[in-house]
Amino acid sequence: MELQAMYVQILALVIFAIGLIVAVSRRNVFFVLMGVELALNAVNLSFVGFAKTLPAEASIVGQVVPLFSIAVAAAEACVGLAMVILIFRNRESVDADTYSNMKG
Amino acid sequence: MLALIYFIVLAIIAVGSAVCVLLSRHPLYGALSLVVSMVSLAGIYGLLGSPFLGVVQIMVYAGAIMMLLTFVIMVLNGARDSHTPMFDKVSLFVIPAVLVLAGLVGFALVRSPIAFDAATIRGSVAITSKTLFDVAQTGPGYFVLFEVLGVLLLSAMGAAVLLAKKRLGSVDSEKTEGKH
Repeated sequence: MELQAMYVQILALVIFAIGLIVAVSRRNVFFVLMGVELALNAVNLSFVGFAKTLPAEASIVGQVVPLFSIAVAAAEACVGLAMVILIFRNRESVDADTYSNMKG
Repeated sequence: MLALIYFIVLAIIAVGSAVCVLLSRHPLYGALSLVVSMVSLAGIYGLLGSPFLGVVQIMVYAGAIMMLLTFVIMVLNGARDSHTPMFDKVSLFVIPAVLVLAGLVGFALVRSPIAFDAATIRGSVAITSKTLFDVAQTGPGYFVLFEVLGVLLLSAMGAAVLLAKKRLGSVDSEKTEGKH
Protein backbone atom coordinates (compact mmCIF):
# COMPACT_ATOMS: atom_id res chain seq x y z
CA MET A 1 0.00 0.00 0.00
CA GLU A 2 1.45 3.28 -1.09
CA LEU A 3 0.02 6.78 -1.02
CA GLN A 4 -2.13 7.16 -4.13
CA ALA A 5 -2.90 10.45 -5.88
CA MET A 6 -6.57 9.55 -5.58
CA TYR A 7 -6.53 9.67 -1.77
CA VAL A 8 -5.49 13.33 -1.85
CA GLN A 9 -8.34 14.18 -4.21
CA ILE A 10 -10.84 12.27 -2.07
CA LEU A 11 -9.67 14.16 1.03
CA ALA A 12 -9.98 17.47 -0.85
CA LEU A 13 -13.49 16.51 -1.94
CA VAL A 14 -14.55 15.63 1.61
CA ILE A 15 -13.19 18.88 3.04
CA PHE A 16 -14.78 20.88 0.21
CA ALA A 17 -18.16 19.25 0.89
CA ILE A 18 -17.91 20.01 4.61
CA GLY A 19 -16.92 23.61 3.83
CA LEU A 20 -19.84 23.99 1.44
CA ILE A 21 -22.26 22.61 4.04
CA VAL A 22 -20.89 25.00 6.68
CA ALA A 23 -21.12 27.97 4.31
CA VAL A 24 -24.64 27.25 3.11
CA SER A 25 -26.45 25.82 6.10
CA ARG A 26 -25.03 27.57 9.17
CA ARG A 27 -26.76 30.79 10.20
CA ASN A 28 -24.00 32.59 12.08
CA VAL A 29 -22.19 34.82 9.59
CA PHE A 30 -18.76 33.94 10.98
CA PHE A 31 -19.40 30.29 10.22
CA VAL A 32 -20.34 31.25 6.68
CA LEU A 33 -16.94 32.94 6.26
CA MET A 34 -15.16 29.99 7.87
CA GLY A 35 -16.92 27.59 5.50
CA VAL A 36 -15.69 29.59 2.52
CA GLU A 37 -12.14 29.46 3.89
CA LEU A 38 -12.42 25.69 4.37
CA ALA A 39 -13.60 25.21 0.79
CA LEU A 40 -10.71 27.38 -0.49
CA ASN A 41 -8.28 25.23 1.49
CA ALA A 42 -9.67 22.10 -0.13
CA VAL A 43 -9.24 23.62 -3.58
CA ASN A 44 -5.58 24.42 -2.81
CA LEU A 45 -5.05 20.83 -1.68
CA SER A 46 -6.58 19.61 -4.92
CA PHE A 47 -4.23 21.89 -6.90
CA VAL A 48 -1.17 20.43 -5.17
CA GLY A 49 -2.45 16.90 -5.50
CA PHE A 50 -2.96 17.26 -9.24
CA ALA A 51 0.37 19.05 -9.65
CA LYS A 52 2.13 15.97 -8.32
CA THR A 53 0.68 13.89 -11.14
CA LEU A 54 2.39 16.02 -13.78
CA PRO A 55 5.94 15.51 -15.06
CA ALA A 56 8.91 17.66 -14.10
CA GLU A 57 8.52 21.23 -15.39
CA ALA A 58 4.73 21.25 -15.47
CA SER A 59 4.48 20.29 -11.80
CA ILE A 60 5.94 23.64 -10.70
CA VAL A 61 2.87 25.46 -12.04
CA GLY A 62 0.52 23.62 -9.71
CA GLN A 63 2.66 24.62 -6.75
CA VAL A 64 2.86 28.32 -7.68
CA VAL A 65 -0.83 28.88 -8.44
CA PRO A 66 -1.94 27.97 -4.85
CA LEU A 67 0.31 30.77 -3.58
CA PHE A 68 -1.77 33.26 -5.57
CA SER A 69 -4.96 31.60 -4.44
CA ILE A 70 -3.88 31.93 -0.79
CA ALA A 71 -3.10 35.62 -1.28
CA VAL A 72 -6.48 36.25 -2.94
CA ALA A 73 -8.13 34.42 -0.02
CA ALA A 74 -6.34 36.81 2.35
CA ALA A 75 -7.75 39.81 0.46
CA GLU A 76 -11.20 38.20 0.45
CA ALA A 77 -11.14 37.61 4.21
CA CYS A 78 -10.02 41.20 4.80
CA VAL A 79 -12.86 42.76 2.77
CA GLY A 80 -15.41 40.18 3.96
CA LEU A 81 -14.75 40.86 7.63
CA ALA A 82 -14.91 44.62 7.03
CA MET A 83 -18.33 44.12 5.44
CA VAL A 84 -19.43 42.02 8.42
CA ILE A 85 -18.41 44.84 10.76
CA LEU A 86 -20.32 47.33 8.58
CA ILE A 87 -23.53 45.25 8.49
CA PHE A 88 -23.24 44.45 12.19
CA ARG A 89 -23.43 48.18 12.98
CA ASN A 90 -26.80 48.41 11.22
CA ARG A 91 -28.37 45.15 12.34
CA GLU A 92 -26.78 44.45 15.74
CA SER A 93 -26.87 40.74 14.95
CA VAL A 94 -24.58 38.05 13.58
CA ASP A 95 -27.45 35.89 12.30
CA ALA A 96 -27.22 35.85 8.52
CA ASP A 97 -31.03 35.57 8.23
CA THR A 98 -31.41 39.11 9.54
CA TYR A 99 -29.25 40.40 6.71
CA SER A 100 -31.87 39.61 4.07
CA ASN A 101 -33.07 43.19 3.79
CA MET A 102 -30.64 45.06 1.55
CA LYS A 103 -31.87 48.56 2.32
CA GLY A 104 -28.99 50.55 3.78
CA MET B 1 3.96 2.88 3.51
CA LEU B 2 5.13 5.41 6.07
CA ALA B 3 3.84 8.22 3.85
CA LEU B 4 0.43 6.57 3.78
CA ILE B 5 0.32 6.34 7.58
CA TYR B 6 1.28 10.01 7.94
CA PHE B 7 -1.31 10.94 5.33
CA ILE B 8 -4.08 9.00 7.08
CA VAL B 9 -3.30 10.54 10.46
CA LEU B 10 -3.20 14.08 9.03
CA ALA B 11 -6.34 13.47 6.97
CA ILE B 12 -8.26 12.24 10.01
CA ILE B 13 -7.20 15.33 11.97
CA ALA B 14 -8.16 17.63 9.07
CA VAL B 15 -11.58 16.06 8.47
CA GLY B 16 -12.32 15.75 12.18
CA SER B 17 -11.60 19.39 12.89
CA ALA B 18 -13.61 20.38 9.79
CA VAL B 19 -16.56 18.48 11.28
CA CYS B 20 -15.91 20.34 14.54
CA VAL B 21 -16.28 23.61 12.59
CA LEU B 22 -19.63 22.36 11.32
CA LEU B 23 -20.95 21.31 14.72
CA SER B 24 -19.49 23.84 17.16
CA ARG B 25 -21.86 26.38 18.60
CA HIS B 26 -19.47 29.17 19.58
CA PRO B 27 -17.67 30.81 16.61
CA LEU B 28 -14.41 30.99 18.56
CA TYR B 29 -14.32 27.21 18.97
CA GLY B 30 -15.07 26.94 15.27
CA ALA B 31 -12.17 29.26 14.45
CA LEU B 32 -9.75 27.24 16.62
CA SER B 33 -10.85 23.98 14.96
CA LEU B 34 -10.30 25.65 11.60
CA VAL B 35 -6.72 26.51 12.64
CA VAL B 36 -6.11 22.84 13.50
CA SER B 37 -7.52 21.80 10.12
CA MET B 38 -5.29 24.29 8.28
CA VAL B 39 -2.14 23.22 10.14
CA SER B 40 -2.76 19.56 9.31
CA LEU B 41 -3.35 20.52 5.67
CA ALA B 42 0.03 22.27 5.78
CA GLY B 43 1.49 18.98 6.98
CA ILE B 44 -0.07 17.23 3.99
CA TYR B 45 1.51 19.82 1.67
CA GLY B 46 4.89 19.04 3.18
CA LEU B 47 4.21 15.32 2.81
CA LEU B 48 3.32 15.72 -0.86
CA GLY B 49 6.56 17.59 -1.48
CA SER B 50 5.64 21.27 -1.40
CA PRO B 51 7.23 22.49 1.85
CA PHE B 52 7.20 26.15 0.81
CA LEU B 53 3.45 26.03 0.25
CA GLY B 54 2.99 24.40 3.64
CA VAL B 55 4.93 27.19 5.35
CA VAL B 56 2.92 29.83 3.46
CA GLN B 57 -0.27 28.03 4.50
CA ILE B 58 0.73 28.22 8.17
CA MET B 59 1.90 31.85 7.94
CA VAL B 60 -0.94 33.31 5.87
CA TYR B 61 -3.92 31.08 6.61
CA ALA B 62 -3.40 29.79 10.13
CA GLY B 63 -1.56 32.95 11.13
CA ALA B 64 -2.88 36.05 9.43
CA ILE B 65 -6.38 35.20 8.21
CA MET B 66 -7.44 33.28 11.29
CA MET B 67 -5.96 35.96 13.55
CA LEU B 68 -8.12 38.53 11.75
CA LEU B 69 -11.21 36.31 12.01
CA THR B 70 -10.66 35.57 15.70
CA PHE B 71 -10.07 39.25 16.40
CA VAL B 72 -13.34 40.25 14.70
CA ILE B 73 -15.27 37.46 16.46
CA MET B 74 -14.02 38.69 19.82
CA VAL B 75 -14.62 42.38 19.01
CA LEU B 76 -18.16 41.85 17.72
CA ASN B 77 -19.08 39.25 20.35
CA GLY B 78 -19.92 36.71 17.69
CA ALA B 79 -21.63 34.35 20.13
CA ARG B 80 -24.51 36.67 20.92
CA ASP B 81 -26.94 34.77 18.70
CA SER B 82 -25.68 31.35 19.74
CA HIS B 83 -29.05 30.42 21.24
CA THR B 84 -30.84 30.54 17.91
CA PRO B 85 -30.87 27.10 16.29
CA MET B 86 -27.74 26.34 14.29
CA PHE B 87 -29.61 24.82 11.37
CA ASP B 88 -33.02 25.64 9.95
CA LYS B 89 -35.42 23.79 7.67
CA VAL B 90 -33.49 24.75 4.53
CA SER B 91 -30.52 22.76 5.85
CA LEU B 92 -32.59 19.59 5.59
CA PHE B 93 -32.50 20.01 1.83
CA VAL B 94 -29.08 21.62 1.48
CA ILE B 95 -27.04 19.01 3.34
CA PRO B 96 -28.32 15.96 1.37
CA ALA B 97 -27.90 17.94 -1.85
CA VAL B 98 -24.24 18.70 -1.09
CA LEU B 99 -23.65 15.09 -0.01
CA VAL B 100 -25.18 13.74 -3.24
CA LEU B 101 -23.07 16.18 -5.26
CA ALA B 102 -19.92 15.07 -3.42
CA GLY B 103 -20.89 11.44 -3.99
CA LEU B 104 -21.30 11.99 -7.72
CA VAL B 105 -17.99 13.84 -8.03
CA GLY B 106 -16.27 11.17 -5.96
CA PHE B 107 -17.74 8.45 -8.17
CA ALA B 108 -16.38 10.21 -11.24
CA LEU B 109 -13.06 10.77 -9.46
CA VAL B 110 -12.33 7.19 -8.42
CA ARG B 111 -12.87 6.01 -12.00
CA SER B 112 -10.34 8.46 -13.46
CA PRO B 113 -6.81 7.14 -13.95
CA ILE B 114 -4.53 9.55 -12.08
CA ALA B 115 -1.27 8.54 -10.47
CA PHE B 116 1.71 10.30 -8.97
CA ASP B 117 4.46 11.05 -11.46
CA ALA B 118 7.87 9.96 -10.22
CA ALA B 119 9.61 12.89 -11.96
CA THR B 120 7.81 15.75 -10.20
CA ILE B 121 9.97 18.53 -8.86
CA ARG B 122 9.93 19.10 -5.10
CA GLY B 123 8.53 22.62 -4.55
CA SER B 124 11.31 23.83 -2.31
CA VAL B 125 11.94 27.50 -1.53
CA ALA B 126 14.71 27.78 -4.12
CA ILE B 127 12.71 26.28 -7.00
CA THR B 128 9.51 28.14 -6.14
CA SER B 129 11.18 31.52 -5.81
CA LYS B 130 13.19 30.94 -8.98
CA THR B 131 9.96 30.26 -10.90
CA LEU B 132 8.05 33.07 -9.24
CA PHE B 133 10.64 35.78 -9.88
CA ASP B 134 11.83 34.66 -13.29
CA VAL B 135 11.97 38.02 -15.08
CA ALA B 136 13.35 36.60 -18.30
CA GLN B 137 11.32 37.47 -21.36
CA THR B 138 10.86 33.81 -22.23
CA GLY B 139 9.97 32.88 -18.65
CA PRO B 140 6.52 32.09 -17.25
CA GLY B 141 5.93 35.70 -16.19
CA TYR B 142 4.61 35.06 -12.71
CA PHE B 143 6.30 38.21 -11.43
CA VAL B 144 3.65 40.35 -13.20
CA LEU B 145 0.93 38.43 -11.34
CA PHE B 146 2.92 38.96 -8.16
CA GLU B 147 2.90 42.74 -8.67
CA VAL B 148 -0.83 42.68 -9.46
CA LEU B 149 -1.35 40.73 -6.25
CA GLY B 150 0.45 43.42 -4.28
CA VAL B 151 -1.91 46.05 -5.73
CA LEU B 152 -4.89 43.79 -4.95
CA LEU B 153 -3.87 43.38 -1.31
CA LEU B 154 -3.28 47.12 -0.98
CA SER B 155 -6.70 47.93 -2.43
CA ALA B 156 -8.33 45.30 -0.20
CA MET B 157 -6.72 46.95 2.83
CA GLY B 158 -7.93 50.37 1.71
CA ALA B 159 -11.43 49.04 1.09
CA ALA B 160 -11.51 47.38 4.51
CA VAL B 161 -10.47 50.60 6.25
CA LEU B 162 -13.05 52.62 4.29
CA LEU B 163 -15.82 50.12 5.03
CA ALA B 164 -15.14 49.52 8.69
CA LYS B 165 -14.55 53.11 9.75
CA LYS B 166 -17.73 54.97 10.60
CA ARG B 167 -17.29 58.35 8.96
CA LEU B 168 -13.90 59.26 7.70
CA GLY B 169 -12.46 62.26 9.46
CA SER B 170 -15.68 63.70 10.87
CA VAL B 171 -15.86 65.03 14.42
CA ASP B 172 -18.70 62.62 15.17
CA SER B 173 -16.64 59.55 14.40
CA GLU B 174 -13.78 60.73 16.55
CA LYS B 175 -16.16 61.31 19.47
CA THR B 176 -17.80 57.93 19.27
CA GLU B 177 -14.58 56.08 18.66
CA GLY B 178 -13.99 55.50 22.33
CA LYS B 179 -17.24 53.60 22.73
CA HIS B 180 -16.36 50.87 20.26
